[in-house]
Amino acid sequence: MSDHVLLEAGGLCKYYHSGGSDVAALDQVDFQLEKGAFTVLSGRSGSGKTTLLNMVGLLDTPDMGSLHIAGENVLALSLSERANFRLQRIGFVFQAYNLIRVLSARENIAYVLQLRGMKKTERLAIADHWLFEVGLDGLGNRRPDQLSGGQQQRVAVARALASKPALVLADEPTANLDSVHGESLMSLMRDLNDRCGMTFLIASHDPVAMAAAQQCVYMQDGRIVSVATP
Amino acid sequence: MKNILIYLRLGLRNLLLYPMRTGLTVIGLGIGIAALTFLSAMNDGWLQNMKLNFVLTQMGHVQIHAQGFEQSRRISDYMGDTTLVDEALQSMQSMQGGIQAWSHRIRVSGLASAAGANASVLVSGIEPEREKDVSRLHTFMQQGTWLQPGDKRGVVLGDVLADRLSVGLGDKVVLMAASPDGDIASEVFRVRGLIHSGVMDVDNLLALIPLKMAQHWLHLGAGVTDVVIRTNSFAVVDSVVSNLQQRLSGKPLEILRWQEIDPMAEQWTMFAEIYTWVVLLVVIIVVLAEVLNTMLMSMHDRVREFGLMAALGTTQQQLFAMVVYETLVLVFIGGILGFLLGGAVSLYYGEYGLDLSQYATAFSFMYMSSVVYPELTFNGCARILVAAMLGAVLAGLYPAWKASRLNPAQAMREI
Ligand SMILES: Nc1ncnc2c1ncn2[C@@H]1O[C@H](COP(=O)(O)OP(=O)(O)OP(=O)(O)O)[C@@H](O)[C@H]1O
Ligand SMILES: [Mg+2]
Repeated sequence: MSDHVLLEAGGLCKYYHSGGSDVAALDQVDFQLEKGAFTVLSGRSGSGKTTLLNMVGLLDTPDMGSLHIAGENVLALSLSERANFRLQRIGFVFQAYNLIRVLSARENIAYVLQLRGMKKTERLAIADHWLFEVGLDGLGNRRPDQLSGGQQQRVAVARALASKPALVLADEPTANLDSVHGESLMSLMRDLNDRCGMTFLIASHDPVAMAAAQQCVYMQDGRIVSVATP
Repeated sequence: MKNILIYLRLGLRNLLLYPMRTGLTVIGLGIGIAALTFLSAMNDGWLQNMKLNFVLTQMGHVQIHAQGFEQSRRISDYMGDTTLVDEALQSMQSMQGGIQAWSHRIRVSGLASAAGANASVLVSGIEPEREKDVSRLHTFMQQGTWLQPGDKRGVVLGDVLADRLSVGLGDKVVLMAASPDGDIASEVFRVRGLIHSGVMDVDNLLALIPLKMAQHWLHLGAGVTDVVIRTNSFAVVDSVVSNLQQRLSGKPLEILRWQEIDPMAEQWTMFAEIYTWVVLLVVIIVVLAEVLNTMLMSMHDRVREFGLMAALGTTQQQLFAMVVYETLVLVFIGGILGFLLGGAVSLYYGEYGLDLSQYATAFSFMYMSSVVYPELTFNGCARILVAAMLGAVLAGLYPAWKASRLNPAQAMREI
């Protein structure tokens, strides 16, 4: 694996049994991600985007295949080592229900930093900085249910970035947003990618997201069928 | 655990997220723990009360007999001379050695007859004036008068006994008993008073006569069978006994604590202990039943959130601890509420008493008063708190285990 490759997956397979038949959610997926990439993973519903993100994010284990992230064979890690790897290296933006309900926006952003053992004043200062970055200045004390869907999504982005992870995984980050907010969220992420050099892998079939992509990976029936660089 | 405060706070906030569910659980827990706190205080009050009644009705805290009397109960095992014992007690009393009062008695079983009716009796020769400082017998007078000094032939009978003999105040009663040399001696007495204590052994059996008369009648000279001692409190009994053992060592005497005088006392202690364990067990069950359900429901609602937290890098141990803390917080709040409620009720009845006179006859043989004063003890509360917390941990284990086992990818798919 060369220096500029952040992630390399080979022959990834994941099968689900549902209703008596086997579904190959991932079928021999070979996949590479370079450092600093801004890649959008698209494809029809059920094509395996979320499944691939889950494997890459160490949220689930493939039934077959190999996976290296930052040079490390992550499939060999124990459960608690995986948790720690996620904590230290990966930022997540999920499609929905991204936030811990009982924590305020800034506490949600600071949560990962808190798990990393950062001091309170320091982590809250960082949280406030990222609230500002995502345009939620002054809303830090609101609980998730006091924020709009778009605002919640931006808090999730702020959380994913505040810990300066090597890799940010986002699953349908714009799905709950109107096109205006979707566009502003995408340009925000793109901007952070440009400025901070963080690597993004975004699953989305939203044209708005695809328009912002540096690279588009298409999936169909658990396979990668094409890779395009617009 | 490093992050204990985060998870305590998260637990508390999660509980506050569903005020209705949490409130109902806390109230349920509170009522359960209040009831059990009260029951435990009742038990302690009862026991304390029974001990006191037992000791003050006639037993005393400590008794001294001639060696072997407790076993044989034969009058021939009497103490010919109590001078040494009296001296020891006198000096201990003057040194604030825990002695409140003592008196001498002769105990012998015999037969009473009056106008054709017979009944077995426990004849007790007492020192009428000293006895008042030792036992409560004189306070149980129902009719007539206590034994008067100089009235040699007076007898005070238990009221049930008098009934059986069909005698009343002023009537003649013949008492018969064996003297130490084996002769059956009988003597005529006149009923001066009737006592009612509520204790069967007293009301059905006791015939009190002056000690001097008993000594003369049974040819005991200055001899007695019992020296009955009332100490300042239960707490000093052990030290009084060991002090007496030291002072009277080598003498052919037995020195008995109140627990050793009647096997019943031992049974109470056992009963009380079993009762305590049952209460604690019920505490655990109440907590389990109340909390397990609530926690499982709450887990169910939060599967996705657990998945999220796990995805972000929260470890299994941290998730496990978080759920256990949450149950602990829940039970702690319920427990405090329960203690306040149960404590208030216990203190109220501790002050004014709980009247159980409807059931008093059923219990009277156990030296229970018809009015119970619950006693709230620190130990009683601490035990319940520990049991409640144990129940909380138990109730938390399963949901915590479930929460920590979640596969984050799977959990976040849950709707
Ligand atoms: N836990 C599961 N149990 C059974 N089948 C599953 C499970 N997760 C995914 N699948 C199946 O695997 C396939 C891929 O699902 P996946 O969620 O990865 O699709 P997707 O591309 O993310 O779709 P969408 O755009 O709707 O989010 C689907 O056929 C889906 O039904
Ligand atoms: Mg998906």
